[in-house]
Amino acid sequence: MAHQAHAYHMVDPSPWPLTGAISALLMTSGLATTFHYKTTTLLFLGTTLLLLTMFQWWRDIIRESTFQGHHTTSVQKGHGYGMVLFITSEVFFFIGFFWAFYHSSLAPAIELGGLWPPTGITPLDPFEVPLLNTAVLLASGVTVTWAHHSIIEGARKPALQSLTLTVLLGLYFTALQAMEYYEAPFTLADGVYGCTFFVATGFHGLHVIIGTTFLMVCLLRHTHYHFTSKHHFGFEAAAWYWHFVDVVWLFLYISIYWWGS
Amino acid sequence: MLQRSYLTQVWHQLSSPAAGHGEKSAKTWKMLTFLVALPGVGVCMLNTFLKAQHHSHEQPEFVPYSHLRIRSKRFPWGDGNKTLFHNPHVNALPGGYESHE
Repeated sequence: MAHQAHAYHMVDPSPWPLTGAISALLMTSGLATTFHYKTTTLLFLGTTLLLLTMFQWWRDIIRESTFQGHHTTSVQKGHGYGMVLFITSEVFFFIGFFWAFYHSSLAPAIELGGLWPPTGITPLDPFEVPLLNTAVLLASGVTVTWAHHSIIEGARKPALQSLTLTVLLGLYFTALQAMEYYEAPFTLADGVYGCTFFVATGFHGLHVIIGTTFLMVCLLRHTHYHFTSKHHFGFEAAAWYWHFVDVVWLFLYISIYWWGS
Repeated sequence: MLQRSYLTQVWHQLSSPAAGHGEKSAKTWKMLTFLVALPGVGVCMLNTFLKAQHHSHEQPEFVPYSHLRIRSKRFPWGDGNKTLFHNPHVNALPGGYESHE
């Protein structure tokens, strides 16, 4: 029987990178055709293929690690670097939108009335729902840390309890923000104010949904005993991502909601 | 090579579960959750609820500013004139609020 003389994981051939790339093509072309011709077929196909790709790729990773034992310490270390680099790339993604916001708001154009918020815009009160949203995300940062320590200490029930609380807080944030979007007296079409507001908070909201989903998967895995007190990198990656989402919100709150009002 | 930097030594002390000094255990974070974090959320919920009651429910006045309600191109849904989260009560169309039937 062949053994590897190294601590790394040489992954078996897989179709999911190809299906992922195809879904990217279908989604981009699909978005363009949806906007220009009002037909959603390509976009729908692309999205379905993306969801299937993600499900099967990550399921394979769980099989290779939890069930086949391929994730040595060295492999975990590499995943750590990967997750940090990915989150860093996302930070730069958001920097772009903050740049756009500050560009437009620090020296407001004369067409907006030469002031910020522009004439005719009633901004949301930062001390109502936005403040509640801040408390919700900060609380979820505390609960996810409680969950992490519980997993390390092998405390199963507290881990499940705290992880569930974290997910519920994430869902609560999303529900509150959706309500805010509906109740807002300004829209995406309200010039550069509406544009910077909804694009920045919109992408943040999308990341909250992604983070909540990641945590839900961790919760499901923990109920199935996938994590040990010493080896639970999937959970750690989810927790890092969640903290990143929280920090982005804090910047959004201070810049757009508070200073920008 | 046997010398570790001061930082590495401190890091190892803080991250090992056996260390007593300065470590935050699950119990501490549980207390923070129920004594600080969740009550904080509760206070903010109450504050939001109370402030919302003070709101007037009038529609904001409509002024046909040209820098707002921009329609360079029709939206690819519905009649092409309403944003995705359109709320007829507070979102006027370029010509004004929709008449309520």
